[in-house]
Amino acid sequence: MNPAETSCMISVDHVSKSFGELTVLKDISFRVKEGEVVVIIGPSGSGKSTILRCINGLEKATSGTITFEGVPVDSASHINEVRREVGMVFQRFNLFPNMSVIRNLMLAPMKVRKISREEARQRGMELLARVGLADKADARPAQLSGGQQQRVAIARALAMQPKALLFDEPTSALDPEMVHEVLDVMKDLARSGMTMVVVTHEMGFAREVANRVLFIDGGVVLEEGTPEEIFSHPKEERTRSFLASVL
Amino acid sequence: MSFDFSLVERALPLLLMGAAVTIEITAVSVAVGFLIGLVVGVARISQVKILRILAAVYADCIRGTPLLVQIFLIYFALPMVTGHRIEPFAAAVMACGINSGAYVSEIFRAGIQSIDPGQMEAGRSLGLSWGQTMVYVILPQAVRNILPPLGNEFIAMLKDSSLVSVIGFEELTRRGQLIIAQTYGSFEIWLTVAALYLMMTLAISRLVAFLERRTK
Repeated sequence: MNPAETSCMISVDHVSKSFGELTVLKDISFRVKEGEVVVIIGPSGSGKSTILRCINGLEKATSGTITFEGVPVDSASHINEVRREVGMVFQRFNLFPNMSVIRNLMLAPMKVRKISREEARQRGMELLARVGLADKADARPAQLSGGQQQRVAIARALAMQPKALLFDEPTSALDPEMVHEVLDVMKDLARSGMTMVVVTHEMGFAREVANRVLFIDGGVVLEEGTPEEIFSHPKEERTRSFLASVL
Repeated sequence: MSFDFSLVERALPLLLMGAAVTIEITAVSVAVGFLIGLVVGVARISQVKILRILAAVYADCIRGTPLLVQIFLIYFALPMVTGHRIEPFAAAVMACGINSGAYVSEIFRAGIQSIDPGQMEAGRSLGLSWGQTMVYVILPQAVRNILPPLGNEFIAMLKDSSLVSVIGFEELTRRGQLIIAQTYGSFEIWLTVAALYLMMTLAISRLVAFLERRTK
């Protein structure tokens, strides 16, 4: 393995993905370095979410390789290894409704990391405080607003002390007035040096926080660059028309 | 014809004892069926193909043959293979439990599949195994959806348990037959037996409705 590869945390190499006849990703390649925030933008159905789902093994790439810190996301045991280190935040939160907020945060650290109940609770409370929801520890997820649920979901992912976080359209299912509270938590995370891959339609967030922006359309990376390059000087006509339609 | 109330009065203690046995055999059978159904239901949606196939074969074979034939197979045919006579109670519970398990497995499968797939994905993305996510996340949610059909299965089993009277096991129906053999009071006794079954099934359906309201 050459030095350039070891410095990158997530490496996606020539990945394609088809569902039957439908090709969703075509020969996608990109790298994410430690501490980097990469934002993926593009029209609906362009395959953005599928990339994230391939990175932590929720979908299996049809061809190509994905590695996390050199571990290929291929066999079941490798996938489990990667999932312990890579958290995921979903569009629809996917909190566990059958347990309290704090139990949502405690479950995986106790069962996977094997830490004690007390330690898990203490860490969980710290994380809830970090996302501004310490007072909701004993509430049920259903009692929270969408924005609060998504902040809990982020705290739950953080409870595993991941090295990287994947965000799959984290604000798309939220009422407009709740979007900023989730974005604020994400900005805070980015500033703290968390490695993040974010699929989003929030161009303001991409512009402010991203180190790099990938524009994906039709399953291929059409353009890649700094927010300045993509938003102010897009090279591709498709990028320009997409940005014109969303900004 | 006239209805002989004194006959009902004399027969009632014996019939009530039969009803108690019916409840006993139903409860044990449903408990056995619940355990089998849980394991088979989870196997039906597992990621291991051979488990899925075995579970489907079991469910299809049991649901595709009459319970009465299954009772005969276990009580009369099985001892010819093993060389050991089997007690009527054991045979009854085995037949009813295995039968119930096939139906309960379908209830579990449907209950599990009714849970948002995002729940399994969330569990897996946190590093939990398939089994851990099933036990801590999916099944606790599925059980809530499963309660009403499980109550119906209990009621169905209670009625079907009358079939074990054919191997001489003295539950409610068999007691009725025996009393009629002595008294010839077919009309009074069968009507009383039917009323006792009805009371038991009504009581269970009320209990299930109550539990359902409490878990909401």
